[in-house]
Amino acid sequence: MAKVTINGIEVDVDPSMTILKAAEKAGIPVPTFCYHPRMDPAGSCRICAVELEDSKKVVMSCVTPVADGMRVLTESPKIHEARKTNLELLLLHHPLDCPVCDCGGECPLQNMSFAYGATESRFESHRNDEPEDMKSDVLVFNANRCILCGKCVRICDEVQDVHAIGFINRGFDTIIGPPLGKKLDCEFCGDCLEVCPTGAITDHFVRYKYRPWQLEKQQTTCSYCPSGCQMFVETENEAIVRVTSQEGVGPNEGSICVVGRFGFNHVQIPERFDTPYMRSLHRLVPSSWEEVLPEIASGLNAIRKKGVDRIAGLISTRVPMEDAYVFQSFFRKILHSNMIDTGARYSFMNAALPIVAATGTLRPLVDHEDILKAKVILVVGADPVSESNITGLFVKRAARKERSRLYVVDSEAISLSSRAKDHIRVLPGGEQIFLEVLSEEIRQSGNLGAEWISRKEELFKNWNVDPSAYQRLLADLRSCETGIIVAGRKLFQLETPVAGVESLLKITGDLGWIDRPGCGLFVLPEASNDLGVLMMGASHEWLPGLMDSRDPASRGRWEETWGSRLAYGPGGGLEEILKGIDEGKINALISLGENPIGHFPPGSRVREILSKLDMIVSIDMFQNELSDMAHFVLPASSAYERSGHLVSAEGFVQAIKPTMAYWGESLPDWQILDRLSHAMGSPMGVDSAESVMSEILRFLPDLAPSSRNGSHFVGGTGEIRLATPVASADGCAYGEMVHEGNGLSTKFVSPAHKANRESVSSRYAQWREGIKEEPASPYRSIAGEGEFVLELTKSLFHSGKMTLMDSNLKKIQPEGKLRINRQTARKRKIKKGERVSLRTAYGVCSFIVEPSPAVSEFELTFPVHFANAEVLALFAPGLDFSSGTGAPVTHRIRVSLDSQNAN
Amino acid sequence: MAETKHVEVDLEDIEKICEEFENREGAVVQVLQKVQEKYGYVPGEALELVGEVLEIPKSKMYGVLTFYSQFYQEPRGKFILKVCVGTACHVRGAGLLVDKVREELHIEPGENTEDMLFTLEPVACLGSCALAPMAMVSGTAYGKLSADKMVSLIRQLEEETVHEEETV
Ligand code: SF4
Ligand code: SF4
Ligand code: SF4
Ligand code: FES
Ligand code: FES
Repeated sequence: MAKVTINGIEVDVDPSMTILKAAEKAGIPVPTFCYHPRMDPAGSCRICAVELEDSKKVVMSCVTPVADGMRVLTESPKIHEARKTNLELLLLHHPLDCPVCDCGGECPLQNMSFAYGATESRFESHRNDEPEDMKSDVLVFNANRCILCGKCVRICDEVQDVHAIGFINRGFDTIIGPPLGKKLDCEFCGDCLEVCPTGAITDHFVRYKYRPWQLEKQQTTCSYCPSGCQMFVETENEAIVRVTSQEGVGPNEGSICVVGRFGFNHVQIPERFDTPYMRSLHRLVPSSWEEVLPEIASGLNAIRKKGVDRIAGLISTRVPMEDAYVFQSFFRKILHSNMIDTGARYSFMNAALPIVAATGTLRPLVDHEDILKAKVILVVGADPVSESNITGLFVKRAARKERSRLYVVDSEAISLSSRAKDHIRVLPGGEQIFLEVLSEEIRQSGNLGAEWISRKEELFKNWNVDPSAYQRLLADLRSCETGIIVAGRKLFQLETPVAGVESLLKITGDLGWIDRPGCGLFVLPEASNDLGVLMMGASHEWLPGLMDSRDPASRGRWEETWGSRLAYGPGGGLEEILKGIDEGKINALISLGENPIGHFPPGSRVREILSKLDMIVSIDMFQNELSDMAHFVLPASSAYERSGHLVSAEGFVQAIKPTMAYWGESLPDWQILDRLSHAMGSPMGVDSAESVMSEILRFLPDLAPSSRNGSHFVGGTGEIRLATPVASADGCAYGEMVHEGNGLSTKFVSPAHKANRESVSSRYAQWREGIKEEPASPYRSIAGEGEFVLELTKSLFHSGKMTLMDSNLKKIQPEGKLRINRQTARKRKIKKGERVSLRTAYGVCSFIVEPSPAVSEFELTFPVHFANAEVLALFAPGLDFSSGTGAPVTHRIRVSLDSQNAN
Repeated sequence: MAETKHVEVDLEDIEKICEEFENREGAVVQVLQKVQEKYGYVPGEALELVGEVLEIPKSKMYGVLTFYSQFYQEPRGKFILKVCVGTACHVRGAGLLVDKVREELHIEPGENTEDMLFTLEPVACLGSCALAPMAMVSGTAYGKLSADKMVSLIRQLEEETVHEEETV
């Protein structure tokens, strides 16, 4: 420990600390421009100058380490002069167009100049008059306002690992921008925009549309992916103007991705349903709540009388826990039905079911902080950067800055591959075989027969597995102190996904990871609240708290809680719902933000089956195939208008807050269901989302709101401050203050968000005993000569289908392109932007091509968001469900490719 | 000025150059010098390919390229007319020389003539101020220039080229 005196205050700090950090510990702010808590120090702006009392030397506090006995002044006449001179130098070239600058009012440069009276420049020089770089549709670079602090370049390099922008030229002519005078081609996270202390980087969507001080700001949780980002929605007159992040706030620590930052526009467009609609003579006509609710209620009452499980419900997994909770109790208590399912059925359920069976929880054993500390990370069948962007950032950071050994097992190159020690590029679909072999080898720990080994060799040959990379991974997994396996969407959508996930669970157990802190499996749910909605019992399998809905004891427990008998039947999920409707056993469907038609190939009869229903109620924001055939369409409020909680992939339970008024007549889902229950004469009596949450917490106290902040944030004039408390700007607290020692230091403790290892451990042991050891699955189909496997992938720039309505994101990615291996394209003389057609036994569809080195020569990928009926027509029609999990199986297919110009 | 036509870049050539320097990231400046020797400038495509081979992001490659004034991003003429505009030359009428070239060849500083014969490149002090105003073409210094002498120098260079072509 080193003793340092700063402005007369003594602090004991680690000798490796910089003066800046020590000052912050002493509670003394120091202004900074180029310093940033998540990046390596650059020491270039010189605004953080401090004076050493003994030597009278002026040093840069952000790069100078402390020394024992050091005495520092952060303010002194000398420092004041030094900072003022520095500001004047910065202002030399600055255009002083603050009145029209988007940054005006929240500009550290402006604030500092004001504080130091450096409004006039003493130096003579030309003002920069470099034209703005307007080539990008997203970001605009104004070199004149740039003070060359380099934060934008560094965040793009060090945090995003995208390296899209750099310094160009030198000396006075230096500017920031994308290379070769081309238009910016990057992930459009907007982090550079966020960290820029001036108005040198602005975005096209909101330029000149606002003055920062006129905006109302509300912290909320992003509802797209499961990263659980804390973001700030800024509005003016009930309209969202922009979304920002704040350094250090939330598990995302101040980074948000392109979808969270720019995908806010669809909720404020005229296409949104703003009033209830009722079908009359084949047309949907605008109506009112007063009119539709009694109509729906009497219809539901009549059907309910016929018996249990007569009414089916589907709910999206982007809604808060509260709505999911009300949804399942509405169905089980009021409608006497357990025919309910969630949007997670299409993919994540394939992971959720085996994971709950093995561990009893959906919360992970490890979180992003553990990822940073893990010595070995295996990413298999997942693209973290596009599925859960912040998870991706943490894996990148682990590999780049913490030197953990990263392995990627995937047929495609994902953006993490370049950081991997080994990228084991299996043939499409081989991820699963790989895991089965790996799990068996780990289980047998060396006792493998010659026959098994030769089978393994053959499998590896057939599936293109590099045996030496496999050996390296195996050795690393066995010997590492801490290891984490990240798995995602691709793995959950293979032909027999449960086998893949079970292999992962076996691997984690057999490596002894269940009991070892810092080790475990980290799965990426597909939507922001897959976890929360499932935990609330919105699928037929589970009651709230993941209790078995068919187990009389669990059922009894909730009957007691709710003080009413639960009269639901055996129920079922999507598969049973469609079957029941087809057989006339289900007569009504209420869908909250779900559209099953859009998920199946057009020939699958889904539309035909649904048309047998007496009543379809579609609660949604936009028109879709289901609302087109609905008898009632009810307008739902968006995530930007409602309140509630979401459970992130890390297990945090975080609040979403209303940022604007309900759109038109729209209402949150819980309220629509509550009103319906009143109209039916069986009122649920739900007062508010808050009252639902307190009911949930009474019985499931471990779901108390929790979050995490970064360790530092940047204050208004650029100074760095500690950011330990996990409380939001509006005082919504995630935990409580704990006083330590002499009462001087307080710590904010957030409730546990990870699974409890002990309870997982006992449950797991049981599961492991019971699980059968089956030999690796037989050889499965791969693409034949001249054929490819077509796969629908998640794009970084969209989330689900709803963002296709978002003008900002549509500008960033307007259409879906078929990605094909670059070499293959060259060989077949297919050029970028050309059209090709794909043919299967079921259909033909034409695509615009985009050659890419990322896809392998055996596969083609297309963003799932753009997979409309024409694209889906390539897939086998029919209702094919996985036997273990009831998930539809339609994600990959063999196709042959014809170049348009060839025929 | 004519639309400059870019050369075709061959991946194998780039790979060969990078290999000469053992694909070392640190050799990026030398690699770019070699590329410039080969093509007369550093074509954008070559820059990207070097980046791919040396595993350096494009943005960083471009930073290096623009940091050093020795690199050119556009093809350049056969003769680079380096007209000194340093202080000594300036007071002795360097401006007139530049103007004369602009007028005679219809190019602005930094541009090439349509036939890719000349590039006008005003430079700072060439180090022979006693001979001001100065110019330098292909390594040869020409001192005590006047506008007329400049024109005859240009004519002379043009003729040399015609001769060369005839003898070839
Ligand atoms: S938007 Fe993100 S990826 Fe693009 S340049 Fe800025 S920091 Fe880099
Ligand atoms: S653009 Fe902004 S962040 Fe980037 S160097 Fe300039 S002032 Fe700094
Ligand atoms: S989509 Fe995911 S990564 Fe992007 S801002 Fe939202 S929560 Fe964060
Ligand atoms: S030099 Fe320290 S913050 Fe810039
Ligand atoms: S100024 Fe022209 S040679 Fe020195």
